[in-house]
Amino acid sequence: MDLTGIFGDYTAFAPIIILLIGALILPAVQFVGKRRTATWAVALVFAIVSLIVNAIMLTDGYTGEALGLYEYDAYSGLMILLFQIVLFLAVLVSNASTETTRLHVGAFYALMTGATVGMMFVAGSTDLLTIFVGVELTSISSYAMVTMKRKDPRAAEAGVKYVIIGGMSTALTIYGISMLYGLTGTTEIAAIAETTQLTGMNWMFAIAIVAMVAGYGFKIAAVPFHMWAPDVYEGAASPVSMFLATGSKKMGLSVFFQIFLVMFVAGTAVSQIAGEEVQYLFAIIAAFTMTVGNIVAIAQNNIKRMLAYSSIAQAGYILIVMAVMSEYALSAGLFHMFTHVFMKGGAFLIVGALICAGIGEKISDYKGLAKRAPFLAVAMMLFLFSLAGIPPLAGFTSKFFLFSSAIGGVDGVTSQWVWLAFIAILNSAISLYYYARVVKAMYIEKGASTEKIKVPKIFTIAIAICVIFVIVLGVYPQLIYDFCETAAGALLGM
Amino acid sequence: MFIEYTYLVPLIPMLCFLIIGLLGRKTPQKGGYIAIAGALISFIIAALISYEYLTGDTYPNAVTASIEWFSIGDWTMHLGYYVDGLTCMMMLFSSFISTLIFVYSIGYMGEEGPRRTRYYAEVSLFLTGMLGLIVSSNFLELFIFWEVMGLCSYLLIGFWSFRHNDGDAASANAASAAKKAFLVTRLGDVCLMAGLFILLGEFHSLDYTTLFDTANIAAADPDMLTLGMLLVFGGVIGKSAQFPLHDWLPDAMAGPTTVSSLIHAATMVKAGVYLVARGYPLFVQNPEVMLFVGIIGGVTAIFAATMALNNMNIKKVLAFSTVSQLGYMILALGAGGYLVALGMDMGGAEGTALITAGVAGFTAGCFHMMNHAFFKALLFMCSGSVIHAVGTEDMREMGGLHKHMKITSITMLLGSLSIAGFPFFSGFWSKDLVLEIAMEAGHDGTVWFTVLWVLGVITAFMTAFYMFRMWFMTFMGEEGHASQHCHGESPKTMTVPLMILSVFAVASGFLILFGLDGVVSFNVTDAGFVVGGAEAGGVGHYFEHLFTNPYTYLTIVLALLGIGIAYLMYVKKSINPGKFNKDGQSWIYRLFANRWYFPELYNQISWKIGYGVARGVNYVDRQVIDGTVNGLSGAVVGGGDAVSKMQTGHVQDYSSVVLIGVAVLSVVLIAITVILGGM
Repeated sequence: MDLTGIFGDYTAFAPIIILLIGALILPAVQFVGKRRTATWAVALVFAIVSLIVNAIMLTDGYTGEALGLYEYDAYSGLMILLFQIVLFLAVLVSNASTETTRLHVGAFYALMTGATVGMMFVAGSTDLLTIFVGVELTSISSYAMVTMKRKDPRAAEAGVKYVIIGGMSTALTIYGISMLYGLTGTTEIAAIAETTQLTGMNWMFAIAIVAMVAGYGFKIAAVPFHMWAPDVYEGAASPVSMFLATGSKKMGLSVFFQIFLVMFVAGTAVSQIAGEEVQYLFAIIAAFTMTVGNIVAIAQNNIKRMLAYSSIAQAGYILIVMAVMSEYALSAGLFHMFTHVFMKGGAFLIVGALICAGIGEKISDYKGLAKRAPFLAVAMMLFLFSLAGIPPLAGFTSKFFLFSSAIGGVDGVTSQWVWLAFIAILNSAISLYYYARVVKAMYIEKGASTEKIKVPKIFTIAIAICVIFVIVLGVYPQLIYDFCETAAGALLGM
Repeated sequence: MFIEYTYLVPLIPMLCFLIIGLLGRKTPQKGGYIAIAGALISFIIAALISYEYLTGDTYPNAVTASIEWFSIGDWTMHLGYYVDGLTCMMMLFSSFISTLIFVYSIGYMGEEGPRRTRYYAEVSLFLTGMLGLIVSSNFLELFIFWEVMGLCSYLLIGFWSFRHNDGDAASANAASAAKKAFLVTRLGDVCLMAGLFILLGEFHSLDYTTLFDTANIAAADPDMLTLGMLLVFGGVIGKSAQFPLHDWLPDAMAGPTTVSSLIHAATMVKAGVYLVARGYPLFVQNPEVMLFVGIIGGVTAIFAATMALNNMNIKKVLAFSTVSQLGYMILALGAGGYLVALGMDMGGAEGTALITAGVAGFTAGCFHMMNHAFFKALLFMCSGSVIHAVGTEDMREMGGLHKHMKITSITMLLGSLSIAGFPFFSGFWSKDLVLEIAMEAGHDGTVWFTVLWVLGVITAFMTAFYMFRMWFMTFMGEEGHASQHCHGESPKTMTVPLMILSVFAVASGFLILFGLDGVVSFNVTDAGFVVGGAEAGGVGHYFEHLFTNPYTYLTIVLALLGIGIAYLMYVKKSINPGKFNKDGQSWIYRLFANRWYFPELYNQISWKIGYGVARGVNYVDRQVIDGTVNGLSGAVVGGGDAVSKMQTGHVQDYSSVVLIGVAVLSVVLIAITVILGGM
C-alpha cells in the first residue's frame, strides 16, 4: 500500500502523526464524552491504526526522511513497532485494571500515547538534540503517569524519586552533549562518528561519554543508576509499570545503540574498534548490571520489585551488545528486546490482573494459584521460565543468540568477550532461583483459599497474546529475527 | 522406510501430553491409558527403526537427516534425528521401561483421583524429553530436551506436595526436594550451555555430523576444546548426580515411586551418561579430560555406596545405589576414553591395541547403563509395591514381608542379585566389564585408574551388602510394626510389570554375548569416527579370559561375602551391626547417615552465602540509598510540612548518589585506559 499518497512529504512521520493527533484529542474526547470506555476505545483505535501503518511501512521496506531531522528506516521502523506493541498492550488492559480506571482517563491515555510518541521520535533521530527532545517527552509524560495514583503513598514516593533522578540524568546528558558539540562542532551523530573513528578517544571525549552513559544509564536502570526502578515499578499502576519496564527501558537501550554503536562502528570496514575503552566500560557495566539485578531479586518478596530487578538484569544482558559492538550482537540484542516485551510485559500484566482480582503483590499471595487460576498460573510459569532462559521458550532463543554473539568465532568477533558470556550464563542460572520461587508458590505450595479467581476478560486476551508470542518466537525466531538483522544492518550501514 | 519417521518417537508422547492435558480428565484412568498407548507406540516405532537400521546398508554408520530450524549470523541450526547403535539401544530401553512404569502407575497412582491427569500429562512430557534428547541430531536440540526433562522432573518430584494426610512436613519436603533437584541440575546445565557455546565458537555449528568430523576436530583449538568438553561434563555431573552435585537425587525420592523409577532407570540421570557417550569423539581428544571423568565416576561410585550402607529408608538406599552405579558407568567411559586418547596419541600397532581396549570401555559404560535401567526400574517398582502395601518407607518397620507378598519379594530378590553382581545375572556381566576396563587403564595408562579399580571393587562389595541388607530387612526376619498391617500383594497392574522386568533384569546381560558389543560400540577408523560396527572386537577380548581371570573371582567372592555378611547380620542376627558402629554413635556412622554433611554444606552455601549477599545488597539498595527518601512519600501526600524536609537534605543526598555513580564510571574508564595502555 502506498502511504505517500496520504501523508505526502511527511510519510516518514506517519505513525508518529497518528499518535500525536491521538494524544492531543484524547483529553477532549474524555471531556466531551465523559465515558472512560469511549476514551479507551479511541486511544486503542489510534494505537492500532498507528501500528498497522507502521507495519505496512516496515514490511514494504520504506525508507525516507522528514524535515531533515528524522529518518525512517528498517531500524527505526522496528523500534517503533516495539514501542507500539507495548503501547497497545498497556492501553488494552488499562480500562479493565482497577488501578488505572479511577485516574483522569483522558490525561492518562494522552500521557501514555505522548510518551510513546517520544520513544518513536527517538527511534528515528540521527541527531543528539532530537534524541534528547524525544527522551524528555517520554520522561516527563512518565513522571506524571507514575504519580497519577495519587492516593497511594508509594506512588507519590516513586514519582518524586523518578522526577529527581530523571532531572539529574537530563542534566548529565545535556552536559555530555554540549561537550561533544564543543569538541566536534556538530550534534549530528554520523558527523561525530567520523571524528571519533579517526582519532579514537581523548580525555575530553571520555568525560563527555561518561556523562552521557550516566545520563542515559538512568533511563535503562543500569547499575549503579538502578535504584529508582524498583520503587517506581512497585509504586506505579501495573500497566504503567509494564509500559516503563518494557517500553521506556527499550528506548534507553535504543539511544545507546543509536549514539554509541553509530559513533564507534557504523560504516567502518575495519574490525578494530576505535573506542576499545568504551567497549570495556560497557562490558563492566553490563556484568555488574546483570549480577546486581539478579542477586538482589533473590531477596525480594514483592513480585513487582522482583520483576523490576529482573528487568535490570535483562538490561544488563542487552548491554552485551554495547560491549561486543557487532552487527550480529545488535540483531541479537534487538531480538531479545522483542522477546522481553512479551515475557516481562506478560508477567506484569498477570500481576496487574491479579491485583484487580484482589490478590496482593507478595510472592506468598501467589500460593496455590495453579488451582485458583490455572490459565494465569501456566502463563506466569511460561513467562518466568522464558525470562530464565529455559527452552524452547522465546527467552531461551533470544538469550542464546545474544550470548553467542559474545563468543568468538561468530561474525568475526574475537574471543575477548567470552568471559562476559559466561557471566551472563551464570546469571541466568541465578535468576532461575527467584523465578522458581514464584512457580513453586503457584504450583507446589498450598494456598489458604481454593476459590477460583475471576479476572477481566481483556486481561486474559492480552496475556494470551503474550503467551502466543513467547512460544512462537521460541520455536520460530525467524519471524522477527529477520527484521532484526535488517534493522541492525540499516543502523550500522554494513 | 521407518527411519524417516524417527521424529515420531518423541512426537507421540508429546501428542499424548497435549491430549491428556486438554482432554485427559474425561478419559478412563484420567489419561493413564493414553500415556501407556503413547509410550507403547513409541517403543514399537523405536523397535522398527532399530531393526531397519541394524539390518540396513549404512550400519554401522549413523543415519541422520535434518531440516533447517533457523539461521542467524553465519550459522544455521537444524532440527533432525541421528540414529546409530547407541540411539537404538537408548530409545528401546527408555520407551520399553516407561511403558511398564506407566502400566504400573495405573495401580500405584490409583488412589490419587483427578490429580492423575496432571501426573500422566507430566510423565508423557518427561518421556518426550528423554526420547527427544536421544534422537536429536545436534547439541542444541539435545539441550532443549535436556531442559524440558529438568522442568518435568521439577514438577513431578513436587507432585506430592499437596498430600494433605502426610502433614505439612512432607509437603514442604516434596517442595524443597523438587526445587533442589531443579536448581542443582541447573548448575550443571549452566556448565553445559557454556560448553556448547565454546563448541559453537570453535565449530560454527552444533550438528553432530560437523562436530564429529575428524578434519573439523583437528582444526579446532585443542585448549578450547578441552575447556569446552570439561564444561559439557559439568552438565553431566549435574544431570547424572555425580560428585559433588549428587545430593539432589536422594532428595528426589520425595516424589511418587513411579517417578523415582522413571528418573533413575529409564530417563533423566541416564541422559548425562548418554551425553558422555554421544560426545565421545570430542571427549577422547584429551586423555586428561577422560582421567577427570574417570576420577569423578570412581569417587562417586564409592562415595554414594557408603551412604547406602546404613540408611533406613528403602527408597533412599536405592537412590544412593543409583548414584553409585552411575559412577560405574562414568568410570567405564572415562577409563575407556583414556585408553582411546592415549592410543590416538601413540599411533601404530601399540596405539591400535590401546584403542581396541579402550573402545570396550565405551561399550561397558553403555552396557551397564542398559542393565542398570532394567534392574533399577525393577527394584524401584518393587519398593513401590512394598510401600503401597505397608504405607511406610522405613525398613525398620518392615520385615517378614516375604510371606505376604511373594511376587514382589522374589522379583526384588532377582533385581538385588543382579545389581550385586551375582554370577550370570545382568549386573555381573557389565560390572565385571567396567572393572576390567579400569584395571586395563591402570595397567596401560596411569596408576590413578588402578586406584579407581580398587575403589570400584570395594564398591562392589558394599553394593552386595547394602542391597541384601535392604532385602533381608524388608522381606525376612520378624514382622515389623508396619508389616502387621500389610494389605497383601499388590494388584496385577503392578505385579505383571514387575515380572516382565525381572526377566530382563536377569537376562539382559546375555545380550553382550549376542552382539550388543558390536551395536553399541565406538569405532575409530580411517574415515573418522563411527559409533557402532562389528570391528570393535574389544569386548570379546575380555570375555575370552573372563573365567580364567583371577579378578573375576575376586569380585564374585566379594559379592558373595557382602551377601553373606548381610545374612548374618539381619537374618541370623549372629553378628550385631551395633558392635561396629557403637550403636550408631561412631563418627563414621554419623558421617554416612548425614550424607557426609553435604546437604548441610549446600545449605550453608546457598542459604547463608547466596541469600546473605542478596539481602546485603538489597539492604544497600533500600536503606542506604533509598533510606534518604524514607518518609518522603508521606511528605508529598501529607503536604507542605514534610516537603521542606526534602529541601533540607534529601535531594542533596540523591544528587550525591548520582555523582558517586558518575565518579565510579570515570574511575572505571580511567582504570581501563591505564590497563589498555593509554589513549
